[in-house]
Amino acid sequence: MTSAERARVLVLQVVSVLALLGIWEGAARAGWVDPLFVPAPSAVVGAFGRIGPSALAGLADTLAKTAVAYVLSVVLGVSLGVAVGSVRVLREVSGPFVVAAYGMPKILVLPWIVLILGFGTAPAILYGTIHGLFPILVLVMGGVRDVDRTLVTVARAFGASSWQLYWKVLLPAIVPTVLAGMRLGIVFCLLGVLIVEMFAGVRGMGFVMGSLANGFQAPELFAATALVSASSIAIVLALDSLNNRLSRWR
Amino acid sequence: MRVALIRLAILGALVLAWELLARAANPLLYVPPSVVVPALGRLLVLDSYPELPQSLLLTLREIVIAYALAIAAGLGCGFVLGLNRLVGRAYGPILAALYAVPAVVWYPSLMLFFGLDAASKIAFGFLLGFFPITLAVLAGVRQVNPHMVLVARAFGARPAVVFAKVMVPAMLFTLVGGLRTGLALSVIGVIVGEILGSKGGMGALINHAYGLFRTADYVALVLVTLALVVASDVVASLVERRAQRWSD
Repeated sequence: MTSAERARVLVLQVVSVLALLGIWEGAARAGWVDPLFVPAPSAVVGAFGRIGPSALAGLADTLAKTAVAYVLSVVLGVSLGVAVGSVRVLREVSGPFVVAAYGMPKILVLPWIVLILGFGTAPAILYGTIHGLFPILVLVMGGVRDVDRTLVTVARAFGASSWQLYWKVLLPAIVPTVLAGMRLGIVFCLLGVLIVEMFAGVRGMGFVMGSLANGFQAPELFAATALVSASSIAIVLALDSLNNRLSRWR
Repeated sequence: MRVALIRLAILGALVLAWELLARAANPLLYVPPSVVVPALGRLLVLDSYPELPQSLLLTLREIVIAYALAIAAGLGCGFVLGLNRLVGRAYGPILAALYAVPAVVWYPSLMLFFGLDAASKIAFGFLLGFFPITLAVLAGVRQVNPHMVLVARAFGARPAVVFAKVMVPAMLFTLVGGLRTGLALSVIGVIVGEILGSKGGMGALINHAYGLFRTADYVALVLVTLALVVASDVVASLVERRAQRWSD
């Protein structure tokens, strides 16, 4: 992309976002849309101040649960993925089970999880972990399976122990896959935690948003939605830049 | 063959372990399979939930409408973004950033806007299905070899012909993959929407059974819903195989 083109793209992006906000504001002020359901952007900005403290507390709570679920799903996903992916019998036997669990809508077991674990933090962490675990597991299993066989054969021929084979050959080879899984997993973990908070929460951003919707507080709801979206995008972008730096270093 | 037997044995062992553990711990909470089977029977003869057919049909209708809308909008947006360089460069990254947001954050707003009825589920299923289809079309358009388009143009093919005879076959593989992911996500969107709050459909029945602690009925309803999910995926995989054979 030339710099002139980049400038044109940037101008187009800024102009269309501003135009969208302008049309939206105008439509709300002119009464074309019901402000009860679609509040004007200015009203949403005003709502930030009103929900600020409680929304930030809810966001902190949600992100803390997501962090725990994320660590659990990365650790479990990578270790299970390496174990299942590198042992042929395990892979062949458990493959269909993993794929089935990956494809199944996890929301169907959520009522059961809530029955067993009750309301609060534990079901959110468990459900977030289940959500994040399977994409990582499936990716890592595939990554391990696709590791160049020649590398393994050569290492074996030079007398590498299986410990060395895992540490020096397999793990370095799957680092890109693991990073891709980590980028995918965070969104899934956050998704899982938010769903539980909406379904059976007592705290957290999902609960806050659910209550705002039930109370028909549209400006506050839009502000809360924007807050969660922005933090999610920020987290993913941070992971992306970390990823880029790591791959340049490699 | 041997692998299949081992898989079957593992499945059997899991069911048996579930049965024994559930009986020992708390049959009401952990629902052993021996309780599920009769509950499933009662459900299927419309004894426990006579409104099962209507609910199943409502959920199916929501899925079909959501998916049809997602295909139309996804193909439209994908081609507009893919075929126009400047527009694609400008809006592609915005779309990708929105895709990085867990979709469920939009659901409370949709529920506020569309109410508790079918419309909010359709909107959410549409939203989930729309992104993978659009992104697949975008990726597919970039895959098309520009030389082929150039040659076809040089031989006097009109834009519509270039589109139908050169571009679509070249990107079919990616496109069909995106359509399949889109279907899976539309199905999940509708079900998530129903469980988070609805007055009809399978989600409402599941919530009813769960709320009244009718755990055996709850598991039976989940199994029926799963059958719907699996059926939709089987149909999608048949279509995908058909399309692959056609493109070969």
